[in-house]
Amino acid sequence: MGLPETVPYLDWRWDDLVFLALAGVMLGSALLVVLGRDIIRSALWLILSFAGLAGIYGLLGSPFMAISQVLVYIGAIAVLILFAVMITASKRGPARLVFQRQWWAGAIAAILLVGLMITTILLTEWPHNGQVYAADAREIALTLFEDYLFAFEVLGVLLLAAVIGGLYLAKRDDDMPQTNNPRQAMRDEEERA
Amino acid sequence: MSQSLEAYLVLSVLLFGIGTFGFLAKRNAIAMLMSIELMLNAVNLAIIAFGAFTPELAAQASTIALFVIAVAAGEATVGLAIVIAIYRNHRTPLVDEYASMKE
Amino acid sequence: MSPILSAEEGGELFIPPQVAGELESLLVLLVLGLPLAGFLLTGLVGRRLSRPWIISVAAIVAATLIATYLAFQALGGTYGEHGIKHIYYTWIAVGDLRVEFGYVLDNLSALMLIVVTWIGALVHVYSIGYMAHDPGKWRFFAYLNLFMFSMLLLVLASSYLVVFAAWELVGLSSYLLIGFWYTKRAPALASKKAFLVNRVADHSFLVGIMAIFLLTGTMDFFESFIEWNVAEVDPLIRNAVAVLLFAGAAGKSAQFPFHVWLPDAMEGPTPVSALIHAATMVNAGVYFIARTTPIFASAPEALLAVAVMGTFTAVLAATIALTQKDIKRVLAYSTLSQLGYMFVALGVGAWLAAIFHLMAHGFTKGLLFLGSGSVIHAVHEEQDMTRMGALWRKIPWTHATFLIGALSLAGIPLFAGFFSKDTILDEAFVLGWWPVYLIGVLVAGLTGFYMFRLMGLTFYGKSRVDPAVEPKIHESPATMVGPLVALAIPTIFLGLVIGLPLGDSTIKHWLEPVFHPGEVILGITFPEYEFIGLNGGLIVISVALAALGIGVAIWLFGVFNTRARLETVDSLARRDRVTRALYTASLNKWYFDDLYHVLFFRLGGLVASGVMWFDVHVIDGVVNGVGTLTQRAGVEVRHIQTGRVQNYALDIAVGLVVVAAVFILLAR
Repeated sequence: MGLPETVPYLDWRWDDLVFLALAGVMLGSALLVVLGRDIIRSALWLILSFAGLAGIYGLLGSPFMAISQVLVYIGAIAVLILFAVMITASKRGPARLVFQRQWWAGAIAAILLVGLMITTILLTEWPHNGQVYAADAREIALTLFEDYLFAFEVLGVLLLAAVIGGLYLAKRDDDMPQTNNPRQAMRDEEERA
Repeated sequence: MSQSLEAYLVLSVLLFGIGTFGFLAKRNAIAMLMSIELMLNAVNLAIIAFGAFTPELAAQASTIALFVIAVAAGEATVGLAIVIAIYRNHRTPLVDEYASMKE
Repeated sequence: MSPILSAEEGGELFIPPQVAGELESLLVLLVLGLPLAGFLLTGLVGRRLSRPWIISVAAIVAATLIATYLAFQALGGTYGEHGIKHIYYTWIAVGDLRVEFGYVLDNLSALMLIVVTWIGALVHVYSIGYMAHDPGKWRFFAYLNLFMFSMLLLVLASSYLVVFAAWELVGLSSYLLIGFWYTKRAPALASKKAFLVNRVADHSFLVGIMAIFLLTGTMDFFESFIEWNVAEVDPLIRNAVAVLLFAGAAGKSAQFPFHVWLPDAMEGPTPVSALIHAATMVNAGVYFIARTTPIFASAPEALLAVAVMGTFTAVLAATIALTQKDIKRVLAYSTLSQLGYMFVALGVGAWLAAIFHLMAHGFTKGLLFLGSGSVIHAVHEEQDMTRMGALWRKIPWTHATFLIGALSLAGIPLFAGFFSKDTILDEAFVLGWWPVYLIGVLVAGLTGFYMFRLMGLTFYGKSRVDPAVEPKIHESPATMVGPLVALAIPTIFLGLVIGLPLGDSTIKHWLEPVFHPGEVILGITFPEYEFIGLNGGLIVISVALAALGIGVAIWLFGVFNTRARLETVDSLARRDRVTRALYTASLNKWYFDDLYHVLFFRLGGLVASGVMWFDVHVIDGVVNGVGTLTQRAGVEVRHIQTGRVQNYALDIAVGLVVVAAVFILLAR
């Protein structure tokens, strides 16, 4: 059996339905990441948002990118973030305020930015014929290891540096005083008492 | 809809806007880093979309997106390490209690 | 607007000096360099020497001998009628302006050289004794050498700008020496006064020099003389420029209205008064006008101004000198009066007489000032003549030389002053300026009176010296008496040597080539000299008036052992309102100091405080306001720097929005 050409009742193409669904998942979970109160849940919503984006990559005909997205973002970065959350999570639970006091200014700036960019996008005549072209892994590999070989090597060094730097920064230095924030020192004192 | 560049670009912009708002508004340093990741994802989406609708750039777009992903990984590593280091000194992940840049 | 002379006439009339030989240039360099080296050496190491005077006196004596050799060569005609000239190097070369550093040695500079070096050398020797007990004498001798260098540069310079530099240098040395005892209030104030008054005049002088450059395009004396008379210049401008130069000369020579600084300058050490403020520096103005006669000759109205100012100063100063009690002040006003004579001579066109009187007066007044120093020394730094008297037996050498000086200044025949003063009066009359002659003769009478009033009060009559000092009065040491005797010689013989025969004298032969072009331009001719006739008659009149003045003074103030009638003087001064008012006015210098006080101190002070208010409130207000504004703005704007990452990120976002919006608007 085959699906009908268009989505029944709505008269949409199936691609469009999938696109809307993935976009909804991605934007919705991204909003939850930003608006959520609990930092651990935020991190989990972030994973869902990454997954939605991976689906959109697939829709755009780039399965290779979709796989990379899943591997790197969900497999590596999100997990890293979860670890960091666990290390830094305060014993007293989520902070009283999710947003800083001037969150409204940030909101206005973000809305203005979005408005401007959407205006620009809609006002521009984009030269394309509506055909999606897929780049296969072989083509990507050839580009990466021929045209961008040097950049690739530099990137390798950068990642190494990031790893060493991250280790150095995060390494516990026992000689250093526990805190030099007087307010926090007082808080620690109270907790001990 | 799925066959037009504009739709993907608008989607990318919306995601970017959410990330921007998160970065500007969240108090928790790690949440800010998450917002940055959202913004980077939005950029990647735009790059891939441009590549998909421009056949001669498809491979290059994917390559650049890969670079972005790699750099984002490095950024996340260093960024989280910094957050942990600051947390150790200040005992809080909340950025609005960091005032040492003022002094 | 027409030129005074055509180009050919100018070329014929002005014969430039010959090019100097190497020997002469070297010697002139020594004459200038020795005092300068003396100044530098004494200034640097003088304090450590046991005899601080040794370098400077040696330098001046050597320079004097060389200068005398050069002067005799020049006057003897070795260098021709028009002297020699040499350029050492180009001092300034900017566009059209070329200022060359060089010297001119003609008969005029030669005569000035003799006056300056000999009086300078004698004053140096005299100062060894006079300043023997002063702890700062190394400073004194350094300044004296600096002055000698400056003055020699002034009389030798061949260009206006070098003269101006020397002009300022003598002003500086004068300032330093008047204020030599700078810890005392009066000398410090006097030096400031001299400096400020001269500054006003020098300003006018400098503007005049600039005008000369503008009109003639050269700073060289002889080139400018030709250009000035060949160029087409409005007569009004000629006169204006000449008046500007005259104002500068009047400042240095203390002519009305710049006369106020000279009497106060007597606060300086007496040798300084003798050298700078009687015999040399104050003559700089006279010398300058004599040097630039071709400029002044084409500006007859300016010459009239010179003559009028000279006459006025002569009378004014002579009347003030009648009543002053301070011995040095009498001499100072006498100097003013005699300088007035010189300016009268310059104004009427008797330039030769002006230079003659400059020389005679220089030696005479140098002698008188040094003599007064010796008197002051003898009575222990007392300058008030009412506390002297009957000194002639106790200090016979000083008295004898002083008497010679007084006779010479009063114009008694056969002394130097007689010849020179009489030449001035005679030529003024012959050239048709009989009102000037009349006033001059009157002043001659006053001169005789005030000089012998000074003699009577100081040397004759009853002693009014402080009884504590009386037994200690003593003649001065040889280093002081020596110069007095040395100066007495030219005071007696100068006129006889260079002033004879009357009407066709040696000095006339010397200076005729220098002043000839000016006389041609001004169009003056001297009639045949008649000793038995007009000229002789004039001599009799002026000598008679001088003798009358002396006679009255002797009758009132005594001579040798005769009794003085000081009570008569007092009663005359107090007899009625008119005489009392006149006496007080003369004693108070005709109130010029008070007038200037009101005019410049009070009125000028008001203007100055107004300007200061403007400066403090407006200028400073703006400047400080800008500072305060920046500071306040900084304090306020500092709040932007919250130290919070997200505020900075917000700024970036806002900036992004603004830039993007601008691009979109521009793209549309």
